[in-house]
Order: sequence, then structure tokens, then C-alpha cells
Amino acid sequence: MAARAAEATVEMRPRRRLRRPRHMRRWLLVMPPLSVMLIFLVFGIFADLIAPGDPGHTNVLARLEHPVFDGGTSEHWLGTDHVGRDIWTRIVHGARVSLIVVAIVVPGAAIFGTTVGLVAGWRSGKLGQLLMRYVDVQLAMPAILFAVLLGAALGASLTNVILILLVWTWTAYARLVRAEVLSLKEREFVLASMAAGASNFWIMRKQLLPNVFNTVVVIMTLEIPIVIVAEASLSFLGVGAPVEQATWGRMITEARNYLTQAWWVMWMPGIALMLVALCGNLVGDWLRDLLDPRLRNLG
Amino acid sequence: MQFVNLLVVRLIQTILVVWIVVSIVFIVSRLIGNPAQSLLPFDATNEEIEAITERLGLNDPLIEQYGRFIVDAAQLDFGYSFHRTGAAIDQVGSKVLGTVKLTAAGLVVALALGLPLGLLAALRRGSPIDWLARVIAVIGQATPSFWLGLMLIFFLATRVDWFPTAGAEGFRALVLPAIALGLLSAAGFMRLTRSGMIDVMNTDFIRTARAKGLTERAVILRHGLRHALIPVMTILGIELGRLIAGSVIIEVVFSWPGIGRLMIESIFQSDYPTVQAGVAVIAAAIALGNLLVDISYRYIDPRIRTAEL
Repeated sequence: MAARAAEATVEMRPRRRLRRPRHMRRWLLVMPPLSVMLIFLVFGIFADLIAPGDPGHTNVLARLEHPVFDGGTSEHWLGTDHVGRDIWTRIVHGARVSLIVVAIVVPGAAIFGTTVGLVAGWRSGKLGQLLMRYVDVQLAMPAILFAVLLGAALGASLTNVILILLVWTWTAYARLVRAEVLSLKEREFVLASMAAGASNFWIMRKQLLPNVFNTVVVIMTLEIPIVIVAEASLSFLGVGAPVEQATWGRMITEARNYLTQAWWVMWMPGIALMLVALCGNLVGDWLRDLLDPRLRNLG
Repeated sequence: MQFVNLLVVRLIQTILVVWIVVSIVFIVSRLIGNPAQSLLPFDATNEEIEAITERLGLNDPLIEQYGRFIVDAAQLDFGYSFHRTGAAIDQVGSKVLGTVKLTAAGLVVALALGLPLGLLAALRRGSPIDWLARVIAVIGQATPSFWLGLMLIFFLATRVDWFPTAGAEGFRALVLPAIALGLLSAAGFMRLTRSGMIDVMNTDFIRTARAKGLTERAVILRHGLRHALIPVMTILGIELGRLIAGSVIIEVVFSWPGIGRLMIESIFQSDYPTVQAGVAVIAAAIALGNLLVDISYRYIDPRIRTAEL
């Protein structure tokens, strides 16, 4: 549906010969990062099937075993860490933690932020001003400060991480949705509905929401790698998920002391994190160009 | 006159931001329950706990506690450190210089990398430089800074011995943390410089400058770049905030003596006053940085001097 709408706008411009091949080239280019994200999704959902072992299972007799392509055995094909835990199992289960955080934070922030944006744009008087002032304050303050504060007060827990990231990511949606609504408000079809006596709620639900939908989907996609990296950063600092949970950030932190003697302990989760962050960004950029190119200069 | 009004409004806004942050710090501090327990040994009697609670003023009504907290915070008084000797704010104060140094170095890296690359990429669109710039931008924007720092340590401090792995001894110790911190912002600066330059170079006044026979160098630097830098100035405040916040993580990665590392250490020592003082100082620094950048770019570009906030 959305793709067809984007195509329709392309068709209306004077036809340029480059258009179509370029679109197809981008399709081909986006396949690898898209596959990586799908693998990440599958890993997260089916972690128990893909890596049936216990990610926390330690074995002092098998400490710092090499990965299979560096002289190790196939029993631990990505090697083991400093207490003999299987790195492959931990990476797969770490993907699950990231996925849980993304699956709650991204839709949650989108729903809340879109609602606030709709209201702030529609009631652009005092209420809208007040909401946006608050958004500005929050945008000026980095999430990590409050993560540190909450981590100090409540200790490490996954619920805290989700809470902090929810509170900290909804503002992006609110700001952009409000900007869209401000311009939609002046359009004829909205004015006509107002003149016909449609209720505020009806206009928001039937006319504003469908029109900001593309924008919201694009921001959601762009937010996925941001949330994954934020979760990993908090875990890295030790204010994220609790110690017993296998997360990529935590794995990287613990591997730091073994940097010189066992490179793979740090590199395996690091590569996983870097790959997912990079591919998430590429997929997000591609979707943005496809659905809503105006968002290109989004910070 | 309007400019002065604007300054006053922005100053009030800045104070408001800091006030909100300090209020959040207070609210969160009430979530931890009674700090008396963590101050006393495990076998402390109820009377002893009660005595400390009374002395810390924790039995007073909440609104009274809040008022006292705000008044104290305004005087930079966050109480005594639970773990180290002395006031919490002094602990933070002794680390300010380290964080300032790191943030400044990160900003230098970001600008020194972002501006020339963006400029060259815009002037030679589609060239290898443009491609290189784009690759750096994508990677810089996607790679978590702590992971970038660890990779730099791995390759440049353990494989080859060019830089120290940790600490703050001498200039060489500053290089890797500054790169790890600055690359993300460099990507932002680069993108804006590039798009700004491309827009500017198509304008009429650039054609005029060329037509009147100025050298290409003068056209690009004096006419083109100056205009392309205006959008860069507008995000300088945001980037400065990002750099200050990012320094928390980078300090931990490189064991750099700064406020961020102090805060993280204090969390694990349950030294809550020090964490509070650190958060408040960093928040104030970010708000102040935003204010200064905002004022300076309004000063530089008269067109937006009186524009809407």
C-alpha cells in the first residue's frame, strides 16, 4: 500500500530514465542488511531451539577455549569465555534480551509519542506549547544520565532499562508527528471535516493518524538500532540487565580483561552488536527513502 | 533590545531545565529508601538507624525535604560522600578537568574530521572522497562508541604499542578516547556540511562571486563555506550535549579520570550523593553549553538573532 503510494508520486514527476534501475539497485543493496535483521529476529524468538544450552552454564575446565576456526573444537564453535560459558549460546540468548527490549520499547514509545504529537499538533495552543517545551527539556538531557541515576537507586534490572528507554525515546515521535499535524490541519479535507462537524477524536483517528502513519513507521525502524545500542551501552556500564542475564553489552564488559589472551571473547559479541546496529541503520535509511524522503535530514 | 529579551528568556529556560533535572534527582533519591541503612554496619540497632534518619532530616514532610534539597543543590551541596572522605561535590569537582579535557578533544576530532570531509565530499560529489565520507558517516553513526573504543584499544594499543590502553598520562593517552568519542559527532557535522555546501554552491551569489573573478578558493571558503556552516552551528549545541554524555561511557572504556567514571564507580559503592552531584553537574554543563552555543550563533548570524526561539 505504502510502497504503491510512493511509486505513484514518483510517476507524477517527469519520467527520468534513471529512476527504476536505481530503485532496483537499492533493493539489491538492502537485501544483506535486511537478512541480518531477520536472522537477529529469528535468533531472538527461537533462542532456545537454536542454542539449547544454558547460557549461564559455567565449566572451569573449559575456560577460554578457542573458536573452531582458531584451533578449537566444534563443541564450542565460537569458543568459551573466562568461566567456560559457551559464547555462541550466550550470543543467541543475548539477541533475545535485545529483542525483548526492542519489542516493548519501540511500539510503546511509538504509541505514546504519536498520541502526544497528535494532541500537541491539534491543540497547538497552550497545551501543545507546554508539551513541546517538556519535549525540548528532555531532548537536551541525555538518557544515560538518568539511567545512571536509576541504576544507582534501584539496581540493575531489565525492567529499569525498558522503562528508561521508553521514557527517553517517545519524544522523537511526538516532535515529528506534531510537525506533520500542524501542516495537515490546514489541508482542505481536514477543514471540510471540521466544517461538517466531525468530532476531534474522529478527525484524529480517521484523517490525521493515517497520514502520519508512514512517518511513524520510518521513525520506528530508525529507532530499532538506537534502542539496541542503548541497551548494550547500559549493560556495558553495568546499569542495564542484571549480571545473570546474557547480554551483548555485559559479555563485552566481562571480556575486557582478557583482551590480549583471548580476543574472541570480546570480538564475538562485539561483531554481533556492530553488525545488527549497522544493518538496522541501513534498513532504516532504505525504508525512509522509500516511504518518507522528507525525513532525510532528521538528526 | 529584542536580543537582550531573548537572552533573558533563554537564561530562564536554562535554569528551568536544571531545576527539572535536580527535581528528578530528588524524586529518584526518595526511591532508594532509607540511606541510613547503607551508612551503618549491618548489626546496627533500630535506635541507631532512627537517630541517623532523624539527623539526615528524613522524618520531615516530603515537601520540606524537597525545599531543603533544592536550596542545598543551588549551593552545590549534595551532602557527604558515603564512600570517600569529604563532600560529594568535591569528589566531582576534582574530576571536572578530566571530563572537560576529554570532551574538548572529542569536539576537536569531530570538527577536524567532519568539516573538511564534508566540504571535499560536496565539492567532488560521487568521487572516492565522497564515498569514503559516506562510509565513515554510516559506520560512525552505527557503531556504539564503547565498542569503537575497544576496537581502537585492541588494534592500536595491544596489537601494536602506539597508544596506552588506559589512563590519562600525557598527550598520547588522549588520542584514542578522543577519536572514539568524536566519531559519532564527526558523522553529523560531515553530513550537514556536505548538504549545506551542495545547497550553497547552487545559489546566485556564488555565481556572482565567480563572475566577478574571485579565485575558486575564495569563492568556496569565504562565500560558500561560511554559509554552509550556519546549519552546523545550530547542531553544535546538541552535539556538545552528546559529547558530554558520551564521555561517561568513554571514560569507563579508557579508565579515564573523569566525572563519568566516578559516577559509575560510585554506583557500585552505593555512594549515592556522589552520583547525584555528578548527574547534576553534567546536566548543568549540558544546559549551559546549549545556552552558550545558542547565543553565539544568534550573534554570528544576524538573520536569526531576533527570530523565534
